[in-house]
Amino acid sequence: MKEPEPTVAADLEQAARQRSSPESLVVINQLVKQFGKLRAVNNVSMTIQAGETYGLIGPNGSGKTTLIRMLVGLVKPTSGSIQIMGERVPSAKIAPHIGYMTQLSALYNDLTAGENMRFFCNIYGLHGKEQKQRIEEMLARVDLADRIDSVVSTFSGGMKQRLSLACALVHGPRLALLDEPTVGVDPELRRSFWDYFAQLNKEGITIIVSTHHLDEAARCTRLGLMRFGVMLAQDSPRELLRQSGQEDMEDAFLYFASGKEVQQ
Amino acid sequence: MSFSRIMALATRIIQQVLRDKRTLGLIFLVPLLIMTLLYLVLTNNSTAHTLAIVYPTGAGSDRIKTLIDSQLPGPDKLHTISISASQVDSTLKNGDADAAIIFPADFAQQVLANQNPTVQIKLQGSDPTVASAMSDLTQGFAHQLGIAIAALKSQDGQGVPTVTGASLPFTVATLQYLYGGPQYTFNDSIAPVFIGIFSFFFVFILTSVAFLRERSQGTIERVMVSPLTRVELVIGYICGFTLFALVQSLVILLFVIFALRVHYSGNLALVFLVSALLTIGSVNLGIFLSTFAQNEFQIVQFIPLVFGLQIFLSGVFWPVAQLPAVLRPLSYIMPLTYANDALRGVMLKGADFIGIVGQLGALLLFAVVMVLLSAATMRRQIA
Repeated sequence: MKEPEPTVAADLEQAARQRSSPESLVVINQLVKQFGKLRAVNNVSMTIQAGETYGLIGPNGSGKTTLIRMLVGLVKPTSGSIQIMGERVPSAKIAPHIGYMTQLSALYNDLTAGENMRFFCNIYGLHGKEQKQRIEEMLARVDLADRIDSVVSTFSGGMKQRLSLACALVHGPRLALLDEPTVGVDPELRRSFWDYFAQLNKEGITIIVSTHHLDEAARCTRLGLMRFGVMLAQDSPRELLRQSGQEDMEDAFLYFASGKEVQQ
Repeated sequence: MSFSRIMALATRIIQQVLRDKRTLGLIFLVPLLIMTLLYLVLTNNSTAHTLAIVYPTGAGSDRIKTLIDSQLPGPDKLHTISISASQVDSTLKNGDADAAIIFPADFAQQVLANQNPTVQIKLQGSDPTVASAMSDLTQGFAHQLGIAIAALKSQDGQGVPTVTGASLPFTVATLQYLYGGPQYTFNDSIAPVFIGIFSFFFVFILTSVAFLRERSQGTIERVMVSPLTRVELVIGYICGFTLFALVQSLVILLFVIFALRVHYSGNLALVFLVSALLTIGSVNLGIFLSTFAQNEFQIVQFIPLVFGLQIFLSGVFWPVAQLPAVLRPLSYIMPLTYANDALRGVMLKGADFIGIVGQLGALLLFAVVMVLLSAATMRRQIA
C-alpha cells in the first residue's frame, strides 16, 4: 500500500523514458455517464499515447467536462472503465502524476499568487529549494513573475486563468487534464499557451485538453470530436480533414456531426 | 496519511484567516466587546425599585409606623415614599413608584381588635420583571411585618414599644457557600460558558464559509484530485481552525480574569481541552452543513438553527434542569450543554479531569459523530 512519494525530477525522468517507447497512457473503454435522463457521456472509448496532446472538441454541453471529471476521478462513471498508467481510476497511486485545471480558475482569491502555488506544491509533496525553483519557473512561463506577492483577488480574468494553469502544472505532472484552459484568454496568450503545450509534449508530458475554439484544434496531436455525449470521430487533425474532404475544422466537425445524424 | 500535506492545508487556512483583518477582529475583539457589555449590564445593581406606602393614620398608628419602617429592606434595595390613599393611582401612573402598599387607616385598631385587616398591594405591572421583583419584595415585607406584629402581640397584650427586627422565633446563621462566596456574581457563572459559545460559534461560521468558498470557487476539486485524502482534508481543517479557537479561548480567559476580574478556580488545561473538543465538533459541523448551502446567505440561515436553539437550551442563562420536560431531551443532544457544564465545573467548582469526564465523553462523541458526517458528505461536496 505504501508507495514512496515520487519527486518531480523522477517523474520527468520517467516521462523522458516513456517518450522513447510510446505506450497507451490512458485507456478508456465504453464509458457511460448518466445524469437522470441525460446521457452526458455515451459509450466513449479512446486511447491516448504518452507525449501527445489530445484535444476534446465540441460545443458546450457535449460532455467534454464530464469526461475529464471522470478521468480525474471526480465523477463516477455509470459504466465502462478508465485506466491511467495501468491503474484503474480512481486510484490514489496516480494522483501525484495528474495535473488538473478546471473550467473555473479555482484559486484561493484571498491569498497571493505565491501562496496559492506554494499550497499546491506542498500538497503534491514538492518542498524546499525545488519548490521555489519550480514556482519561479512556472510563474515566469505564464508571465506573472512580478506578481508573485499580489493577492489573487486583484487579478484580471486572464491573469487568474494563467495562474490557474501554473498551479495545475507546478508539480510536474505526467498527465495534464486541462478543461477549457483558453477561455477568456487573449489571442496572444492563447498562442503562448499552445506553444507551451507543444513544449510539454516534447518533455514527454501528455495533455488532454478540451476546447470549443475549433481554430485551436490544429495544434493538437489528435482530436476527439464530441457532440451530445457521443464521440463522433477521433484522429489527427490532418486525417479528420482528409476524411471529411473539408478545408477547415469547423466544416469537418459539421460533416461528422451530420453524418452521425444520418446514420441514426 | 501525510503530516506534511495536513500541515500544508492548516498553514493555508491560517494564512487565509490572518489575511482577513475583519475576520480576525470578529474572532478576537467581538467576544471581548460582548463580554464587556454583558459585564456592565449584569453588574448594574443600581436599579433599586420604589415602593409607595400608604401608612395607617388612625389611633395607635405611630407604633405601627415604626414597626413598618423597621421591617422595610434597606434603601439600597428599595426606595420608599409616603403617599396618601388618594394618590396611589396617580403615583403609579406617573412612574414615581413601581408598586404601592396600602394600609387601611384604622390598621392599628383592627390589629388590636383581632379583626384581621386587609393590606392591599398594587403593582404598576407594565414590566413583568419589575412587577415580579416588587411582588416578591412587598409580599416578603408584608410577611415579615405579620410575624413582627404577632410576636409583639404575644409579648404583651397592650404592647410595649420596644420593637426590633430580631423578634423572630429562630435565628438564621450567616450564609455558607460550598463554591464561590458572596463576592460571586452572575458574571462569574456566565463567563465560563462564553468561552465555549464563542469558540463554537465563530469556528462554525468560519469553517462553513471557508468550505463553501472552496466548493464555489472550485478549489475543492483541485484538492480532491491531488494526493490529499479526505481524511487529511478534515484533519487539516481541524488543525487550522482549532488553533484560532484555542488562541481565542486564551484571549477571552485572560480578559475575563484580569480585566473583568471574574473569579475562577480550576485547571486552565481542562478549559482548553473542552474548547478543543468543542472546536473539532464545530469544524466538522461547519463542513457538514456547508454541503446544504448554495451561498453565504444560506450559511447565515443556519445560525438561528444551530446556535439560537443552543443559547436557550444549553443552560447558558437557565439551568437545563429548570427547562420544561419536553425541551430537556433537546438539551441533552446539544454539545454546548456539556461544554457549559464542564466549563462551569472547572472554573467555578475547580473540578478536575475525573469531575468532568462525563461531559468530556459527550463532547468527544459529538466530535466523532461530526467527523464521520463531514467525511461522509465530502463526496457530495465535490459531485
